[in-house]
Amino acid sequence: MVARFFRSRGARKFMANRLAVAAFLVIAGYLLVAGLVWFTGIITLEETLGRIGASYQPGLWGAQRSGKRIEDATFWFEVAQNAADRGDFETARGGVAFYERRLTGELDADEIKARVARGIALAKEVLVVEGFDESASVLPKVDEIDAIVVELFPHPEGWDAFMYGARHVLGTDRQGRSISFRAIYSIKVAVQVGVVTALFAVLFGSFVGAAAAFFGGWIDHAVIWLYSTFSSIPYLVLLSVLVYMFNDTSVDKTLIPLYVAFGLTFWVGPCRVIRGETLKIKELEYIQAATAIGFSRTYILIKHVIPNTAHLMFINASLLFIGAIKGEVILSFLGLGVKSGPSWGIMISQSKAEVVSGFFWQIGTATVLMFVLVLAFNILSDALQDAFDPKHV
Amino acid sequence: MSEPTATRTESRRNLPPPAGPILKVRHLTTSFRTDDGIVTAVDDVSFDVFAGETVGIVGESGCGKTVTVKSIMRLLPEFTGIIGPKSEILFEDQNIATLDESSMRKIRGDRIAMIFQEPMTSLNPVFRIGWQIDEALKYHTDLDSAGRRARAIEMLELVQIPNPEKRIREYPHQLSGGMRQRVMIAMALCCEPDILVADEPTTALDVTIQAQILRLMDELKKKLGTATMLITHDLGVVAQVCDRVIVMYAGRVIEEGPVHDIFHRPQHPYTRALLQSIPKGGERSRKGADGKRPRLPAIPGIVPSLRELPDGCRFQDRCQFKEQRCVDEEPQLIDHGRGEGSEVRCHIPLTDGDPRAERAAIVGAGGLGDVAGATGKSEEDDV
Amino acid sequence: MWVYILRRILYNIPVYLGILLLVMLALRTKDPVWAFLGKRKSVADHDALEHKLGLDRAFAVQYVLFVGDVVTLSFDQESWGQPGKTANELLGDAIVPSLVITAPALLLSSLISICVGLISSFYRGRTPDRVLVILAVLGMSISFLVYIILGQYFGAFILNDKVGHRIFAVEGYPDSLTPFTWWTYCMLPVAISVIVTMGYDTRFYRAVMVEEGTRDYITTARAKGASKSKIMFVHMLKNAMIPIITRVMITLPFLIGGSILLEMYFGIPGMGRRLILAIRDNDFPVIQAFTAVFAGLYIITNILTDVLYALVDPRVRLS
Repeated sequence: MVARFFRSRGARKFMANRLAVAAFLVIAGYLLVAGLVWFTGIITLEETLGRIGASYQPGLWGAQRSGKRIEDATFWFEVAQNAADRGDFETARGGVAFYERRLTGELDADEIKARVARGIALAKEVLVVEGFDESASVLPKVDEIDAIVVELFPHPEGWDAFMYGARHVLGTDRQGRSISFRAIYSIKVAVQVGVVTALFAVLFGSFVGAAAAFFGGWIDHAVIWLYSTFSSIPYLVLLSVLVYMFNDTSVDKTLIPLYVAFGLTFWVGPCRVIRGETLKIKELEYIQAATAIGFSRTYILIKHVIPNTAHLMFINASLLFIGAIKGEVILSFLGLGVKSGPSWGIMISQSKAEVVSGFFWQIGTATVLMFVLVLAFNILSDALQDAFDPKHV
Repeated sequence: MSEPTATRTESRRNLPPPAGPILKVRHLTTSFRTDDGIVTAVDDVSFDVFAGETVGIVGESGCGKTVTVKSIMRLLPEFTGIIGPKSEILFEDQNIATLDESSMRKIRGDRIAMIFQEPMTSLNPVFRIGWQIDEALKYHTDLDSAGRRARAIEMLELVQIPNPEKRIREYPHQLSGGMRQRVMIAMALCCEPDILVADEPTTALDVTIQAQILRLMDELKKKLGTATMLITHDLGVVAQVCDRVIVMYAGRVIEEGPVHDIFHRPQHPYTRALLQSIPKGGERSRKGADGKRPRLPAIPGIVPSLRELPDGCRFQDRCQFKEQRCVDEEPQLIDHGRGEGSEVRCHIPLTDGDPRAERAAIVGAGGLGDVAGATGKSEEDDV
Repeated sequence: MWVYILRRILYNIPVYLGILLLVMLALRTKDPVWAFLGKRKSVADHDALEHKLGLDRAFAVQYVLFVGDVVTLSFDQESWGQPGKTANELLGDAIVPSLVITAPALLLSSLISICVGLISSFYRGRTPDRVLVILAVLGMSISFLVYIILGQYFGAFILNDKVGHRIFAVEGYPDSLTPFTWWTYCMLPVAISVIVTMGYDTRFYRAVMVEEGTRDYITTARAKGASKSKIMFVHMLKNAMIPIITRVMITLPFLIGGSILLEMYFGIPGMGRRLILAIRDNDFPVIQAFTAVFAGLYIITNILTDVLYALVDPRVRLS
């Protein structure tokens, strides 16, 4: 069947569309990243939730004012101080809490404490200067503070340097968390939500729709009633009710409420489309012939009717994928979506406060990543429609 | 039946018919831009249409009949349909192949009108019948609205639609297929065009209705003196109403001549084969010596793809008389001595004494009446 | 015609009863009273509140009573989140703010999109069309929320800053609604809503027009000698009204949904915002009343759609 698909006219037409193939590759890339995060744990949930430095650091190592540099240095001094207070330098040296940037092993406890004290004292001196952020006179002191930080936490090398760079490349958010890692981890969340809802909605909706049209009678009436009822509830109202249902329950912090919400609302679309298509296919000669020969109706449904609606399923799946990703953003903003860990919706919602102060790295990163994926899906679904369902409006 | 209302076209009517052809098509070549390059659907087609006559254009699906008339009407899809630079469509000595769109609009519907294959979809579903006839009159006459209404009612009467006053207020879906085609004809003829182009006007209709519509068209032609170009793949229809026949194959005219000659003395093997493949009432019910009904002869093979046309004769792959010459060189459309106005595009045309043509002659002589009878003798009306 | 309308109404009644049933069941999957009170309150408190709302009665009784409330539009239980106000009062306060955002947004976006769709289909396959199609796809691929955040930042903060006085309010809703205060507080949300929906709508309307352009009746009209503008604005547009009406009606619930987001973000005290706040507060009486009203509005738009169909398409009237 796969081979037959690739030889079909639609498939050839699709492959000839270079833009569509590019979109397909982009989507494959996203899926790959999501798979990597999911299976290898290359980025863990904790990494997206912990501070990695000063807040509001711009990405791409943009020029920083003294205030930000001191804030960043203070963060590292706190790390060293905490380690000293606990008397546990080994954890900090092993990089357990702060990954690649490890406490130096060449200094002993007293030396570390002395440097931290010196650094904090310098920082205090700078911070009392009127308008220090713009003043060039404090720069020597700030440079000295930075030097102390590098002495305590030498720059990582090799793979560590790469990971450290990746972690900081797009700056930090209001809480000093890595924007790049949050955004990449969000790919996994988005793909997870998209795949689960699209798969469920398309498979369930298509099967119900096909069965309703194929068997007719009371089954058809029941299905029509069910989907007119579901589609008569405004989407966000249904989601709201569901979120209310799940509020404070044991699954509240997982993605399950989202799955259920999207699953329940999204199945209607494919169900309608596939029901309509099945009604048409049912009247075709070869189905009539198969019935006349005496194949069982269920067999005909599964073997002949459903495979002929496959293109519609693909198109619907890619549309629903987009719907799920965009729906997640809206629900997360309303406080009804993802509740543990980052997602594009959470990131965009949080950036509300950042944008007001002119900081665009978080909203920009999340938007661009989401934009590329959604655009790719839009192009893909258009191309699929052109290739397999040219008459569609 | 009342006389047609006086319109500005009346003066045109009263002139004696012009001596020469009213429409001259010369070297018409029409191509389409497609995803896989340019495809030529009509290739160097030339013919004439004289005032008041009915010309049939016949051929299998995809041979270029419809594209030919759509080119004449300049109704090809914009940007994708191209009429070749050497093509000439001379309507009253004016080349309408290169005419600008606004001048062309004045000709369309007024001087050359068209009716289509699908009466079910060719009328606009959301406008009343009266409005749709009125529209054509509005563009091409200076009648006031009362006059146009009277004219619309008169036209509906002319095409034998009962209760026309009531019908003009109805929507297309309230009418049967035959009725809709009558409305289409009324709409096309309301400005008294010189040429009526009918693109398979009866194909989508029931057989009984087909006969009525054809008879109606024939009557109207006689009454109004309109020249008709009838496109069809139904040879029975051609035999019934046409004066001359043009046979097309793979974008080319392959045979042309008076209807009698084409049916009785076909010279092109393709024409002959087409005639043979008509089922005939008598023959079909008669059983052979072995107790079986004779098989209806079919033309073997399919029309070649317009993308992969052979170098020589375009019919060569399906022709049972193929010679080397046919492969090497494409024949010209020339007179092979059948009579005036007859031309054939064949190196070795069938002749009267030719034993190969014997069967064709039998078919032609015995079959024609039956064919006409099968489609033309029913009296029921769908009113 | 009247028979047809009556039939549509009758058909939608069981659907609406079904929605009410589903919503009420869903809202009772957990004990709404405990969810509101929290675990620290006593069982006596719980039972008192439960009894006050009649939640201790059989479900069937509750259902019938609530359907009665819906029919008479009397949601007179007291709100839990905002004591002293009934659900009815909250509803009454919220309708106008919602309407002054939703209605202009729908009108503007439909009008603009239909025009752009027509232009696009007119230039089908040529540069203006391609540019519009690409812009639409690009616009569709950005999240609504991003439009809102950036729209507020550039439309309110930056613009006011550059101009020197306040053109659009950053957020909030006027105490008294005049055209001037409407412009200050509501124009920006409406504009954002229009921009967001335009991508989808333009694409759809273009596809509709392109589809209508391939119909046989268009060829007939051309063969009659109709001009291109006559064909587009008379023949095509009237036929396209059917999908256009469907589309506008389908957009309505999304608009309500979208305006929830706008209302939350711009602090407009509309129905969507009230519903979301009620969900956060576990304000059961308000949630129940508002979802019923939302669904009712949707059903009414469904019926209106069918009636409009019949007005535009003569074929529907018969069936």
